[in-house]
Amino acid sequence: MTRRTEAVAAWYREQTGVSLSAGVAGALAVALVILGPMFLFIANGLTPHDNILETARGDAVTTALWLGIALGAAAIAGGFGTYKLMPTKAARETAISGAALGIQAVLLAALFLFFRAGEKFPLLVRQNFSFDILGDFGREFVTGARNTVVLAAGGEFFGIVLGLVLAMLILSRRPVVRAPARTYINFFRGTPLIWQLSFIYAAIVLTARLPVTVFQVGIFVLGLNAGAYSAEIFRAGIQSIERGQVEAARSLGMSYLQAMRYVILPQAFRRVIPPLTNEFVILIKDTSLIFVLGLTAGQRELFGIGRDAYSETFNATPYLGSVLGYLAITLPMIWVVTRLERKLRSGLTGIVGM
Amino acid sequence: MDGTGPLVRLEGIHKYFGDLHVLKGIDLELERGSVLVVIGPSGSGKSTLLRTINLLEEPQEGKVIFDGHEITDIRTDLNKVRTDIGIVFQAYNLFPHKKVVDNITLALRKVLKLGEKDARKRALEQLEHVGMIEKSDVYPSQLSGGQQQRVAIARALAMKPKLMLFDEVTSALDPELVKEVLDAIQLLADEGMTMVVVTHEMGFAREVGTRLLFMDDGKIVEDGNPRDIFTNPRDERTQSFLSHVL
Repeated sequence: MTRRTEAVAAWYREQTGVSLSAGVAGALAVALVILGPMFLFIANGLTPHDNILETARGDAVTTALWLGIALGAAAIAGGFGTYKLMPTKAARETAISGAALGIQAVLLAALFLFFRAGEKFPLLVRQNFSFDILGDFGREFVTGARNTVVLAAGGEFFGIVLGLVLAMLILSRRPVVRAPARTYINFFRGTPLIWQLSFIYAAIVLTARLPVTVFQVGIFVLGLNAGAYSAEIFRAGIQSIERGQVEAARSLGMSYLQAMRYVILPQAFRRVIPPLTNEFVILIKDTSLIFVLGLTAGQRELFGIGRDAYSETFNATPYLGSVLGYLAITLPMIWVVTRLERKLRSGLTGIVGM
Repeated sequence: MDGTGPLVRLEGIHKYFGDLHVLKGIDLELERGSVLVVIGPSGSGKSTLLRTINLLEEPQEGKVIFDGHEITDIRTDLNKVRTDIGIVFQAYNLFPHKKVVDNITLALRKVLKLGEKDARKRALEQLEHVGMIEKSDVYPSQLSGGQQQRVAIARALAMKPKLMLFDEVTSALDPELVKEVLDAIQLLADEGMTMVVVTHEMGFAREVGTRLLFMDDGKIVEDGNPRDIFTNPRDERTQSFLSHVL
């Protein structure tokens, strides 16, 4: 090493400021690339879609993107170039984070510029971001969201009851009791939900001319399906309770069912809340499959609304509307599950006081 | 036959865990009011023997007769029999989702069908007895091991059993917490409760036991007065075991 580079290295070592500036540059770059255009789009109006096109091609967005790329590149170079020289772990992490953010900013900006340069860009904007269409179908989307929640909640409720019964059966020590429950679970886990919906509707409901609505059939089949998955969740939950708990309950004279009801299940229930909520999130998304049954207008759920609106308008923006609806329902639940899992894992008091 | 004759009689008990032969023909009679202490090396089958008495372990061969009734008879209502036999475990096994007092009232209400008030009264009496009354409204996880074990003893006693079984109840405790649990058992012995105590506490075995069993390899090797066995063990295996633990 020459004296000069040694001097530079020594300078760096004392300058945790370098890591800080890399971190700040990276964060700024991402903010410019994401928040900048977002702010401009909203400020200039999201409808009609020509507004969006104009904003996207405007100088302000171009400036924000290129500035973001420049800052991002600086953060990458600064962060990766200096992180090994940083004297503290925190400074090193800041440098690396700055570089990582810089990479994201550069990639996002490049992607945007690439799409914007394409000759089909105006078409893309019109087909995906005609928010005025969403406004036209606003009431339908609200109904759709409600139907999605009702389908999922109904299916989950039925599924939990069924799953609990099935879990008890597959935990039996008698093979003749286990076998039918196991067969049921494997069948419903092993066949596609879309087949189950179509088959039960066509082969049973239509054939026997049962006086039920498609919506009710949907809840029923979703419940049958969720029951199979919840059964496995309950089984795992029950088996996770220490053997000593049953022994203590039985030695006090409780019957098997009393031990289950008063000692095992209350503890198992708390442990299965996170996986059951996960299962519920999956069920929310699976409600989209009931479109195969051909719902009436008022029975349609989020996906059905989006799909029908697309057929009507030949514009893909309604699909965007559907997905925003799903995320509005699922993201809070995912957030709750993550928090519950963290609490269960870290909880000193274990399952108490939840 | 209730109330007379031995409280427990084991006849030719054999227990297997898979290929493992854990109890190899146990015959035993337990008189009312006696405190039977069972010692022996780990794996000797002493815990399994204890758990056979309330049929937490079902023997493949042999009979268990409790209070004059053969409870290994498949027609026995075991849930009813078990209300007469209290057991305390090494790992306490308190119900973590229930407060201390509710740990005790649960079986009183659901098994003995006591009313809420009576159950609570009886639970508090028992907690008083083991010196845990002031902790009646906390959850087990907020208690020390010794406190949890005293609650477990109170929970078993609240059923008013004829027999108490103690399965290495101090083995999971920090040394400074052992005494409070042993004191609670001692108190019970003084009151004349019939007990079977599996333990590693040799001093306690000598002081409290009215009769001592030494087990090894699934068999009862020595059976007699604790003081005699401790001072003058007959069998070579007993001598060797005692020389290692004393």
